[in-house]
This record gives sequence, C-alpha cells and structure tokens, in this order.
Amino acid sequence: MARGAVNARGAGRGGTTAGPPRPSWRQRVLGENGLQRWVFYLPAAFMILFLAVPAALTLVWSFFERTTFWMEPGFTLFAYENFFYSARAVNYLHSMLHSLAAVVVSFVIGFPIAVFVRRRVPQAAQHRVVLLFILPFMISELVRVFAMRPVLGRYGLINTFLMDLGIISEPISAILFTPLGVIIGDVLSFLPFMVFSGFLAMEAVQRYIFEVCDDLGAPAVRTFRDVIIPLAAPGIFAGSVFIFVNALGTALVPTILGGPGAVNAGLIANQAIVALDFPLAMAISAIMIVTLVTLLYIGHRLFDLTRILEPIS
Amino acid sequence: MKQHELNRRYFLQSLAAATAAAATGGIPGVSAQEGKALKLWAAVIHKVGAKDWSAMAAQADIEIAYTTKSARADEAIQKMVVGDGNRLFDALTDNGGGMEDALASQGAIVPLDTSRIPNWKNILPTYDEGGFAAHTIRHEGKVYATPMISNADSMAYDYKALGFHPDSWGVMFDSQFKGRVALQNDFGPTLTNMAIYLKGSGRIEIEDPSDMKPDEVKAVCQFLIDYKKKGQFRTFWDGFQNGVGILTSGEVLMSSCWEPVQLVAQKKTGDKADIRYGTMKEGHQSWNNVIMLSKGAQERGVEDLYYKLANVYLSPWFGARTLADLGFGPQMQGVDAYVESHPEAFSADDRARILDILERKQARYAVAGNAWQNVFPTHIRDYQDWWARLQAA
Repeated sequence: MARGAVNARGAGRGGTTAGPPRPSWRQRVLGENGLQRWVFYLPAAFMILFLAVPAALTLVWSFFERTTFWMEPGFTLFAYENFFYSARAVNYLHSMLHSLAAVVVSFVIGFPIAVFVRRRVPQAAQHRVVLLFILPFMISELVRVFAMRPVLGRYGLINTFLMDLGIISEPISAILFTPLGVIIGDVLSFLPFMVFSGFLAMEAVQRYIFEVCDDLGAPAVRTFRDVIIPLAAPGIFAGSVFIFVNALGTALVPTILGGPGAVNAGLIANQAIVALDFPLAMAISAIMIVTLVTLLYIGHRLFDLTRILEPIS
Repeated sequence: MKQHELNRRYFLQSLAAATAAAATGGIPGVSAQEGKALKLWAAVIHKVGAKDWSAMAAQADIEIAYTTKSARADEAIQKMVVGDGNRLFDALTDNGGGMEDALASQGAIVPLDTSRIPNWKNILPTYDEGGFAAHTIRHEGKVYATPMISNADSMAYDYKALGFHPDSWGVMFDSQFKGRVALQNDFGPTLTNMAIYLKGSGRIEIEDPSDMKPDEVKAVCQFLIDYKKKGQFRTFWDGFQNGVGILTSGEVLMSSCWEPVQLVAQKKTGDKADIRYGTMKEGHQSWNNVIMLSKGAQERGVEDLYYKLANVYLSPWFGARTLADLGFGPQMQGVDAYVESHPEAFSADDRARILDILERKQARYAVAGNAWQNVFPTHIRDYQDWWARLQAA
C-alpha cells in the first residue's frame, strides 16, 4: 500500500506514467470542480437569503396576532381585513395610479432621449451623454426633492416666470402639494431609470433596422411604434418596474411634495409601524410584494424578460 | 442644535471640531467608557449650551456617551421592549403621558428615587397636584421619569399677512383662507387639537380630547374631511424643516405646529413676514418630554450618572436655555429669577425675549380647555383608521 502511494505520487509529479496530469491545488480549489461550480449558486443563495426568506417571513408575520407593543404567533386575517375594509386600500390604489402616471410620463420623456442618444450621438460620446443624466443623481434625493419646492411653489420659479410674462395673474397652486406635485417629483427622481434601461434596450435594435425602415419610407412615428418599441419592450418594461416600485415605496416624495395627507404604499406601511401595528405593516408589505411579483409575471408573459439578458448578436 | 444653524459654516465648524476631537482623543465630556459615561439615548432637542453634549456633561459633572434618538414611539418601544435597548442605554428620553407607562409596564425602566435629585424641590407644582401632568411621570403611583421640557402646541401665523392675531382654531376653517392652511401630519396632536377646538366651540360633544371614543374620533375626522374636500388645507406637514418651509415660503398663512418651528420661521423670514405663535381660547394639546432610567443602568450600577443629569434637567440653568433657544417650557420654578440674575449669560434683549416667551407660554398653559398628549389612546385603532380615511378623502 505504501509503495502504491509512492507510485501514485510519482505519477502526480508528471513522471513517465500514462494518464492525465493531476491538477495543481490552485486548479482543484478554484477550478471547475472547486469553487467555480459553487459560484453559480451565489446569486441563488443571495436571492434566497435577501428576498425569499424576508418575503416569506413578512407573509407569515402578517397573519400573527397584534399585541400592545409587538405581535405573537397565531393565524388571523385581521390585518388584511383592516387593510381591505379601510381607507388604506383606497390610498394604496391612489398610490398605484400616481406611480403608473409617473411611469407613463417617464417613458414619454425618457425613452425618446434614450433613442436619440443611441441614434444621433456618435458612439464614442454616447456613454458620456448618458453620464450627464447621472450627475444630478449624485446629490441626495432629499435635497433634490426639497429643491423642487422653490420651483413649484406658490411664489416659486415657475409661477414667478409665468406671472412676469403676464400669462397668469394668480399663482397656480395645482403644481405643488397635489397629486400632480407627487407625479412631478417621482418623474424627476426616477427618470434616469427609464433613460438607462431605454439606452440598454436600444442595444437590441441594430442600426441597420433604422436604415431598412428609412429605405422603405416608413414614417418616424410608425418606425418608433411598430419596430423600436416591440424590440426594446423588455428593457422598457424593466425601467418601468424600477420607477413603479420606487414611486410606490419611497416615502420622501409624497411627504415633501404631496397635498394634505398624501401617502404612498411605503408611507401606509410606515404609519402602521409608527402605530405599533406590526401585523398590519407586514400585511401591507406582503400586498406590495404580491403586486410586484404579479407585475413581473405579466411582464414576463408579455415581453419575455429573459431577452434582457440575451447577448446582442 | 437649532435647525437654522445647519448651514455651510456650521458644517465646516463641526467638521473642524470633529477632526480636532479625533486628534486629541475625544470630545471633552463625552466619552463611551463603560460605567463611567452615561449611555444616553436622546433627541437633539434635549440639550442646551453647546452644539454637542459637552455643556450638559460639564454641568452634570459626568461623561455622556450620546446616541441620537428620533421622536417615534415605535422606535423606543421596539428598542427597549423587544430589542437590546437595555444593554445599550442607561437613560432615554421620550414623551411623557404614555411612554413611561408603556416602558414601565414592560419592565424596561425602573422607578426613581427622587431624593437623589436635589433640584426635584424646584419641580413645577403641577407634577405633584395629581391630574394628567402628575400621571405623565408616574406608573402605578411610582415616579418613573424626570420631566425636562413641555409646551402647549398652538398655531403659527403670519401676522403681517393676516393683520390680526387669531385667538381661535376656528380661523383655520374660515373660507377666506382656503388653501392657505396647514396641519401637522400626525394623527395624535392634530386630532387632539381639533377635538379641543370642536369641543371648546361647542360644535361637537367630546368628553376627553386626549382619549376620544370611536364616535368622537369619527366626528372630528369627518369635520376635517369636509374641509379637506373644500380645499381648505394646503398640506399636512411632516418634519421640522418642512414645517418651517411652508411658513417661510408663504405657501400657507397659518399652520398648527411646534413652537420651535415658529421661532425658526420668524428668524428666517426677517422683514418679509411676521410669524407669530398664538394662544387659542379653546385650548391646546399640552405635552412634555421626560428622561427615564433603564433597567440595564440599574443592573450596571450607574444610576448615579442618571440622577446627576436629571438634576441638571430640573435646574434653572437648563430651563432658561431651553426656553431661550427652542422655546420649550422649563419644568422648574425660578427661571425668571435666574435669567434676571445672570446678565452675563443673557443680554437685556435676551431677557426681554425669554420673559415674553415665558409669559405667552403661561397664558397658553392657563387655558381651561387644554388637554394632554396621549401617546397610546384607548381606541388608537380608530384614530389610525379614521386618519387613513382623512388621507384618502
């Protein structure tokens, strides 16, 4: 046995014995059969640890019984009842509508910018132009949103400008502390998501496609509607989801720019926490998760979201 | 620290001070040495005399390891009852009138030996006279908290624009000010103040504005919903700077708010406006903040540090400064005499201003219709549910 072992070691050193050379320790540890095979499981582990487990716990806790200061194990639908049979459900729907409006406005403004950058800006400069959209976002969101107040306010820049021009005689009060103010704030906060995702989505639309459309005499609107949008749909959808999720959950915008009692889904959950109603907060969070998963499922069925990850040929 | 001092110069000064402190081994009077420093979890408004806690530490002759705390009841409850607050903190500050009951009932804080606080003899008589004020520092008859600051919240208004001094909450519902009124975005103080108004003006019968019954909550909220639908309110503000901003920008002419919001707004507006703080004949929501001793501090044997700081909170030294800087009501007697006898610390203008604030504050305290803040009203779920309806309206 000892001799056999000596022979095996000799072979391993690359002696004259036939057979493949034994991999070095580095190859064994880092190679295909080592850590490398486990690397593929990392995203899955990440998703389980930071998404699936918290989501599952949120769901479980939403059925717990509320106590004075915390909650205790049990099974009750009271938190859901409390949500659906109160004004919270109405607030939640309003919040979804405002978020949807922010998505639509962001698409109308952001996607043409992305198309323009892809089509008209020289390739070498494209990333720099996109970078220009990032720069304002280096500033804290709180500062950016708060800075909208002197612009949109009763005596803000817009009103002053319009009054100086004589277009209006009284300040317009509908652009701040209203749902419109919230939508403006959401668009200004999250527009880059649409520009970036639109920019990336446009990689799926090869330059020759534009040339073919031009050669065939297709009008610009028809090219945009029938060719560009279908090809870029997964990217547009991804950007829309980012905006929708943020507008639904970020409490800052309705707090600073919203009207009396303006809330979004994030604020509704937050208010439940402040009132120490943890099962209700969990139920609202669970409803948000279900909303978003449903949205992703619909998006996937319509646009096949895996196309976002496909290499561009 | 006053919010209006949060400017570039203050930032640079703080940065320089922090750098110097790091280079010399720490901020004087503030250290985190286990057992030697009081581990204090408190809001920034609970200190006076310096931008950090050094003046408070020096006055108490202790070291303070400070952690910033928000005013959210849920945060304190979670940390102290469910979390590791007792391991982390020796003392914490919060609202009286609910929090001391909540924390004491859960064994998170311990009763106090007031004989170890020499300045306890200065405490306002109201704390010994029974009633809600006395209740705000007690649980089951035992003293669990030392009061630090108090106020009777009212309404700030632009006197320059209005041309008169409102003396009733009713002015907020006058149609000529449609769209120029703001309320605080917090169901506790807002519903209590509105209940005080509706009760005081005889519009709705409400037994106790601090602890309304479900049908009373409904009536108050329906009243607000009606006016919200008519466009009476411009916004419900949330956060200190937000509260200041709506007044200084001229967005609203009046807003229910904390007194420091009015003080800062007044300083910021200069000659553009004249932001005053009114006394409402129907009454105001009164409140106080208290400092409590954690059970963990008792187990660690550091109660003495707590008692020394509590003694500072009941000294006119603290009372005069919190009144001057933030407009909060002192919890001890003798502040006016202290201010008069310390001209080196308070100029003639300061003295006049402080005494004016104190006088107006005492006028608010004296209104018969006042009701105390109740952090956990009996029917809190109805408060929440109806507040959500008001938001949705």
